[in-house]
Amino acid sequence: MTAASLLSRRAFLRHLGVSSAVLPFLGNLPSLALASSTTAKKRLIIVFSPDGVVKKNFWPTIPGRFMTPGPVRVPVGLPASLQPLDPFRDQLLTLKGVHNKVRGDGDLHMRGIGCLLTGIELFPGNVQGGGDTPAGWASGLSIDQEIRRHLQSQPHSATRFGSLEFGVLVPNRADTWTRMVYTGPNQPVSPIDDPYQMFHKLYGQAKDRESLQSVLDELREDLATVARALPVEDRKILEHHTALVRDFERELATHHETIAHAVPKLEEGVVEQNDQMPKISRMQIELVVSSLAADFTRVATLQYTNSVGQPRFKWLGIDEGQHELSHEPNSNEAAQDKLTRINAWYAGEIAHLATRLAETPEPAGDGSLLDHTTILWTNELGEGNSHSHTDIPFVLLGGGLGFTPGRAVEFGGVPHNRLLLTLAHAMGHTDLSRFGNPDYCGDGPLTGLA
Amino acid sequence: MFGIRSSSQAVFLSLLLAGRGGHVLRAADETPGAVIYRDHCGRCHGENGEGTADTPEPLIGDRSINQLAAYIDETMPEDDPQAVREEAARNVAEFIHGTFYSPLARDRHRPARVELSRLTIREYLNTLADLFASFRGRGPNADLRRGLRGEYFHGRNFDRKDLVFERIDPRVNFFFGVEGPDPEQFEPNRFAIRWTGSIVPPETGLYEFVIRTEHSAKLALNTAWYEPPLIDAYVKSGADTEYRASLMLLGGRTYPLRLEFSKANQGVDNKKHEPFTDASITLLWKPPHGDLEPVPERVLIPLDSPQVFVITTPFPPDDKSIGYERGTTLSKEWFSAATVAAGETADYVIDHIEHLANVKRDAPDRADKLRRFAATFAERAFRRPLTDDLRALVIDRPFADAPDLDTALKRSILLVLGSPRFLFRESAAVTDPFATAARLSFGLWDSLPDQSLWEAAVKNQLATPEQVRRQAERMVSDRRTRAKLRDFFFTWLRVDLGPELTKDASFFGDISPGITADLRTSLDLFLDDVVWTSGDFRRLFTDDEVYLSERLGPLYGASLPGETGFRRVRLDNGRRGGVICHPYLLSVFSYSRATSPIHRGVFLARSVLGNVLKPPQEAITPLAPEQHPDLSTRQRVALQTKAVACQSCHMMINPLGFALEDFDAIGRYRTVEQTASGEEENVDATGSYLPREGQEAEFRGGRELAAYLAVSRDAQEAFVQNLFHALTKQPLRAWGGDTLKNLHTSFADAGFDIRRLMVDSMVVASSPPQNAVANVTPAGHSVGNEENQP
Repeated sequence: MTAASLLSRRAFLRHLGVSSAVLPFLGNLPSLALASSTTAKKRLIIVFSPDGVVKKNFWPTIPGRFMTPGPVRVPVGLPASLQPLDPFRDQLLTLKGVHNKVRGDGDLHMRGIGCLLTGIELFPGNVQGGGDTPAGWASGLSIDQEIRRHLQSQPHSATRFGSLEFGVLVPNRADTWTRMVYTGPNQPVSPIDDPYQMFHKLYGQAKDRESLQSVLDELREDLATVARALPVEDRKILEHHTALVRDFERELATHHETIAHAVPKLEEGVVEQNDQMPKISRMQIELVVSSLAADFTRVATLQYTNSVGQPRFKWLGIDEGQHELSHEPNSNEAAQDKLTRINAWYAGEIAHLATRLAETPEPAGDGSLLDHTTILWTNELGEGNSHSHTDIPFVLLGGGLGFTPGRAVEFGGVPHNRLLLTLAHAMGHTDLSRFGNPDYCGDGPLTGLA
Repeated sequence: MFGIRSSSQAVFLSLLLAGRGGHVLRAADETPGAVIYRDHCGRCHGENGEGTADTPEPLIGDRSINQLAAYIDETMPEDDPQAVREEAARNVAEFIHGTFYSPLARDRHRPARVELSRLTIREYLNTLADLFASFRGRGPNADLRRGLRGEYFHGRNFDRKDLVFERIDPRVNFFFGVEGPDPEQFEPNRFAIRWTGSIVPPETGLYEFVIRTEHSAKLALNTAWYEPPLIDAYVKSGADTEYRASLMLLGGRTYPLRLEFSKANQGVDNKKHEPFTDASITLLWKPPHGDLEPVPERVLIPLDSPQVFVITTPFPPDDKSIGYERGTTLSKEWFSAATVAAGETADYVIDHIEHLANVKRDAPDRADKLRRFAATFAERAFRRPLTDDLRALVIDRPFADAPDLDTALKRSILLVLGSPRFLFRESAAVTDPFATAARLSFGLWDSLPDQSLWEAAVKNQLATPEQVRRQAERMVSDRRTRAKLRDFFFTWLRVDLGPELTKDASFFGDISPGITADLRTSLDLFLDDVVWTSGDFRRLFTDDEVYLSERLGPLYGASLPGETGFRRVRLDNGRRGGVICHPYLLSVFSYSRATSPIHRGVFLARSVLGNVLKPPQEAITPLAPEQHPDLSTRQRVALQTKAVACQSCHMMINPLGFALEDFDAIGRYRTVEQTASGEEENVDATGSYLPREGQEAEFRGGRELAAYLAVSRDAQEAFVQNLFHALTKQPLRAWGGDTLKNLHTSFADAGFDIRRLMVDSMVVASSPPQNAVANVTPAGHSVGNEENQP
């Protein structure tokens, strides 16, 4: 990639790091005491990958359980793109027949990502797509932010961040194709696609405290030397300063235990480049898992590239860009095969995320993080070459939301707004009766998931 | 009645005597404790507890009388602890405590001295900004031209090949209509403009920037090309045409600015849906205490600047209670903020290290370069070269101990920024050339020495007053001195906090925030003009012209034809006299409808003439005009303050304030005043002032008062003292009782040139104050100096 993105890795760090640096050092640590609430925690992770799927290799052919019925249960084979999720087949739910019915300005890629979590039209604007009329930003907030708002309004579910927006190789430009999350009309949120920057946001304060602690001996030594050389009247203020250093050290010591939860170790020097995508993905996944374990947030999004994303999966032996491949007709078997493998790669990352969640015990609770966390994997298009907004990929994995997993469900063409409502209700936001464009909210949340 | 008066006289007498030096009178009314002290303690502790050769530590501390008595009872005198016990111990403890031991007693007897102070917030911010600037340079210091460089492109991007023309635009406030800048040269729907240059904020504070446009725009301000812009309105969406963002800027520095505008659809290059619509773009700002307005030409320059590092960590405000910010106290909040700010700075260093140290991440000599950078950073932060010991402490140790280079660098920066060598100003006891350099730079810039000062210190060229003077003369013309002086003036004139003007609309019409902001700007321009074109202090009172904008013109009875913006106007047939007749100050020192001779008088007596006034003995609500509807403002104030208790101060305050009665509550000239009953009364603007030496002066109206102030020795001395305090943040008296007189003499000899006064003040401030001890070397630069105590 360009020098710009190389430099921006660090440069961005400052930009968002500021907010956490501004907080006073002490007394702003996540309160682990909050964890002991009477209701079990519910968490949601929304993962985005771009450019549609190869339908025949993505959707299970027969709706129903991934096991044959009867006393001797035999696994039904998962389609190729979902194969990596096989170890989690009991916690897996595929939702077919859920369509993005939102229309209006913007091309299908723009609306695909811009209306995906908002369920509402884009504003007219100046961004011209490959077809259709130009458009601007989405005219409403996204469901993750609606849920965040609800959770943050309740003391038992409020967390330090409320939501975290992760990205992997999201291009360094803010436009309709690169933004999925909105806090309100015309309020897109930039995902943080630099793991180091995200690390700083999550752990910067703790790290700063560590660094300070490591220089306290030298600091005291220096203070003493300076004070010794000053006239006695001038020493007074330095003695006060020394006392402040001492107080600070004491506070550091008392706070030390509360930050002792596992801070993930990131490999150093990974630059934002296409070929580093697998590494960056894993680093971000580690940070997702650790921020859920620390209860920094209950809602996270993880956005791989962008709508019209063009990563080159050289590590799979695929040299063409993903978007370019997605335009190939269904008759191009080689392209279909590559796209199938690309989506299987994404599924592998989902599986890795699920594995890490399953390996992490639920803090102050039963089972694992995965038992209390649902992953939703989605995409801006049903199919790349037709740019269809029907059968948008929605794959759920995990627990805690009260759905009955281990099966493929066919909805036969319901608007996706109803799924967004379902997510909100499952996360405890049951007062929400409409979301996005009310015309697509029909009979409210989807039935048949529980 | 008699009894009360006599006792208050007694109190007055005793205060007066104490003020003249209590120790002289001590023998006359010697207490038992004093006798015991003289007989048993003085031989070791000295006559006034100052210590002796055998017992050098002064007898000072913060134990209570009880604690002290118990201690003496047990242990004193050392050679015979039984000699002073119980009752005697208590008596002597009371004497010691009250005479010189306790902080209060010390304060009472203490001569003015230069106190060791931490950096004020302003100094902290400026020092770090300039420390980074020392690695990447500062923006242009002279502004020959104003405005921004505009590059106009046909096409929607900023391709060199599409450049049509370049020009200087005084400001960005354009309405291009449907056709664009020029139908001959541009397609109506396809043009792009990029404005570049720098912005020079007049003061330190939070600035809001606003872009208004129907099209695509981005504003980069103090950000590098690879960083996200301050405002990203690349996407036009819905009805939004206004985009806002705020950031903190430090006065006296220049910041890089780039504004990109593009009328065209973005994204895929396809003209099909491009509508023929109007195009406009405006760049506005809301400065601290100001109102939203297009960024004016006077703060824009068409030259580039490097980025400036501005700390975003919030600090608790500094103590400004005695008229200037000072850092003589510490608090937990301050410490905590300084600690967070050190972390923020260290992170910034790590993020920008490639540029700052000119080193690639994988360079083989990276370790060396980072170490060198850290050492340079440390010596600039400490304002002096590193000794071997200090280098070992703040460079070698972190670099030896840390697991990796980034961590080492970070620890070193944290150590440097946590050190008292950075956080505290130079002690008066330190008198070497580096301390002199720092005194000069903090005095004139509130910041660290620049390269030239540093070199002068290295070559020992700051030893004589002439050498100091030469440096100060060079430094005075720096932008940073202007910013500091501007801040001084606004503080001196009591408008530093940007008071809101609440005026009765039924009387004066709508005094909008825009008018208030223009009045403030008008004062700013006036001060700038007086100081930097002539420099003559007297012009602060004798100029009869006022800067007026289009908004202000009609309000003050001036017609302003022609050009836009501020211009100098002679108002009211020459009846104005400088700052005290400036409509902003006159409005600030007034009520919503009526003037306030008391506020005006207090301002004149205190700030301008340098008198000490006690606060009133009790809070008093001003008489409402309706209670005495037939009285003029002057008569009402006289009535309210006629009591003897009030008159001790108001006999000075009122006649000063009354002299400005020929200007109403928004500073318009008037000859009549309407009373609450609706009657028109002729204004009586006679006034007087009894100076500290000489004859009582009499004047009629603001113009005559101002003319008097221009030649008043009290006013001149007060100005000398105020400016000295603002520059040095230390009491002038600490340099000796004659210093004020001497500075005033040289001020007068130089035709009352304010710039010259700054130079003279810095020459004084660079000389050792009374409490300085010659030849103390700072810690870590030689062995500690236990014996060098006053």
